[in-house]
Amino acid sequence: MNEEPRSGTDRPASGDAVAGGVDQPATESASEAGHSAPATPRPAKATEGTARTTGAARPAATGTARAAGAAVAAKKAPPPPDPRVEAAKAKAEQVRLALEAELGDGVVEETGAAHLTPMVRVRAADWARAVATLKTHPDWQLNYLEAMAGTDYLAQGYLEVVVYLQSIQLGHFICLKTRTDRNQPELPSLVPVHPGANWEEREIYDLLGVHFSGHPDLRRIMLWDEFTGHPLRKDYNAWDDTDDPAAPAGSAAAAAHPDGTGDNPVHR
Amino acid sequence: MSLIDEKDQVRTEEMLLNVGPQHPSTHGVFRLVVKISGETILDAEPVIGYLHRGTEKLAENLQYTQIIPYTDRLDYLAAMLNNYALCHTVEQALGLEIPERAEYLRVIVMEMNRIASHLLFIGTYLLDLGAMSPFLYVFAEREQIVQMFNEICGARLTYNYMRIGGVKWDAPPGWLDKVRAFVPHMRERLKMYDDLITGNEIFLNRVRGIGKYDTETALAHGMSGINLRCTGLAWDLRRKKPYSLYDRFDFSIPVGQNGDCFDRYYLHLLEMRESLKIIEQALEQIPDSGPVLGKVPKLIRVPAGEYYSGIEGARGELGFYIVSDGKDKPYRLKIRKPSFLNLQLLPQLLRGQNMANLIAILGAVDIVLGEVDA
Repeated sequence: MNEEPRSGTDRPASGDAVAGGVDQPATESASEAGHSAPATPRPAKATEGTARTTGAARPAATGTARAAGAAVAAKKAPPPPDPRVEAAKAKAEQVRLALEAELGDGVVEETGAAHLTPMVRVRAADWARAVATLKTHPDWQLNYLEAMAGTDYLAQGYLEVVVYLQSIQLGHFICLKTRTDRNQPELPSLVPVHPGANWEEREIYDLLGVHFSGHPDLRRIMLWDEFTGHPLRKDYNAWDDTDDPAAPAGSAAAAAHPDGTGDNPVHR
Repeated sequence: MSLIDEKDQVRTEEMLLNVGPQHPSTHGVFRLVVKISGETILDAEPVIGYLHRGTEKLAENLQYTQIIPYTDRLDYLAAMLNNYALCHTVEQALGLEIPERAEYLRVIVMEMNRIASHLLFIGTYLLDLGAMSPFLYVFAEREQIVQMFNEICGARLTYNYMRIGGVKWDAPPGWLDKVRAFVPHMRERLKMYDDLITGNEIFLNRVRGIGKYDTETALAHGMSGINLRCTGLAWDLRRKKPYSLYDRFDFSIPVGQNGDCFDRYYLHLLEMRESLKIIEQALEQIPDSGPVLGKVPKLIRVPAGEYYSGIEGARGELGFYIVSDGKDKPYRLKIRKPSFLNLQLLPQLLRGQNMANLIAILGAVDIVLGEVDA
């Protein structure tokens, strides 16, 4: 946990090509990889043929470079930036401009790429407003909340909530995220914008402890109501049966169970 | 106290009815607290989590290959698709090349699994509605598929067949011919199911116009799969964001018209036909021999970053979101569970309905509790 696990741009320089992005339109990927036309029978001798996980173009010679042990050479001269990552970053910039035009400067804290998906990080206070703006914005119309997740970055001291938004009409696919303090995690709820966020937010509240203000029914969903603590937090201790499972090291609770199993009835 | 009130009507009062957690029609341990007045449902509250095993937390302490058996236990009726969804996300992150034969084998088993899963939906749905025979019929075909899976990977339910970079085993001799023979047989049987069920007056009266919603509602609630396509929107990730080899096959995406329970039932039937088409084409195109596992490092370390990719599972978009800090275990793994999101709309659909429609509406959502609770 000493380095920040984030955007897909800082990958090691081993020349590993990334497979095709999920946000690539169908027509492009098919043609780029030179796939045969649909329904064409494959010749039986194509034993050495390899298929991409999805068929997007890859930088030349990456496949052989790895096998030939050329990783050392690759470290000296970093590979050219992946054009798909660059395209994602450029798209993220456009999202930033659209958001700033609507909500004012300072709403966007960071842009980049989450692997091959454009990534925009917005201010926590404007979280719901930003999602609502992009939902109705004529150029984006991100009307389908495809996935939502929360992550605990213990070393950095924040919780991150990320949504993947899809535009059914226009085909855009954007990763939008925000951060909130670990000790006072609070975010505006997305339920008024996307009702589908209801259970996802309940799950994030349950397992990570983020409070979503304005949520109509913020209760635990997976665990029972009397449960204490939030298991997906990185400092969660399953064997600590005191009231505060997130007790910092050196506290009375932690001292009582130095190996985390001492006072557990299961081990008695 | 009289049971008849002044207007000569039966006096009713509100009561709470617990459906589940142990109830055959909930297809697992799912509890529904229903508030009813007479025969009318006033409100319903799903209670989930009885099967919560903390897969996401467990995955944080497992190497990527070790997570694959855990995915078997999510949607245990379509474990091949779960296997693939995880492997696909990791492969995307690594930029791996998959041997062609492996990718074809994956497509074949995935589509077979989709058929097995849809078959079970039709069987159990009809059973919920009081028709016993289809349940017994569908298990015959499902058994054939399960037997073939047993031959290719040694398991009937929790396959653990796929690996990052390919599949674990090549098809045993003669296996592909068995699949080849199965396709026309299955086609015949589908015709029979169609005749047996789709035209049945009693069935139609129970499902037509019940549990209706429109595309807007479905999109707003994050629904996917058949639950979304029944409203008329052709949103199938195999077409919209092609993964694997799906851009090589000729198949169509059946969509519904009314967004009711009947459409959801019928789409399952139609999708099996499309799956058969895909299997047939894959069997034609698959190379006769070749490696089934690509060049994968012994210890898989995903480059630091975050990755999301979804596939069209049997129940909707099944996605994996992985945050990696460059180690051999994920820093965070989040599963986008289609059943979980599809279930959200249920209280809204049930409100104001007749009590007898509860099972018809719940069954058509097609949930698997292993996935809902993860």
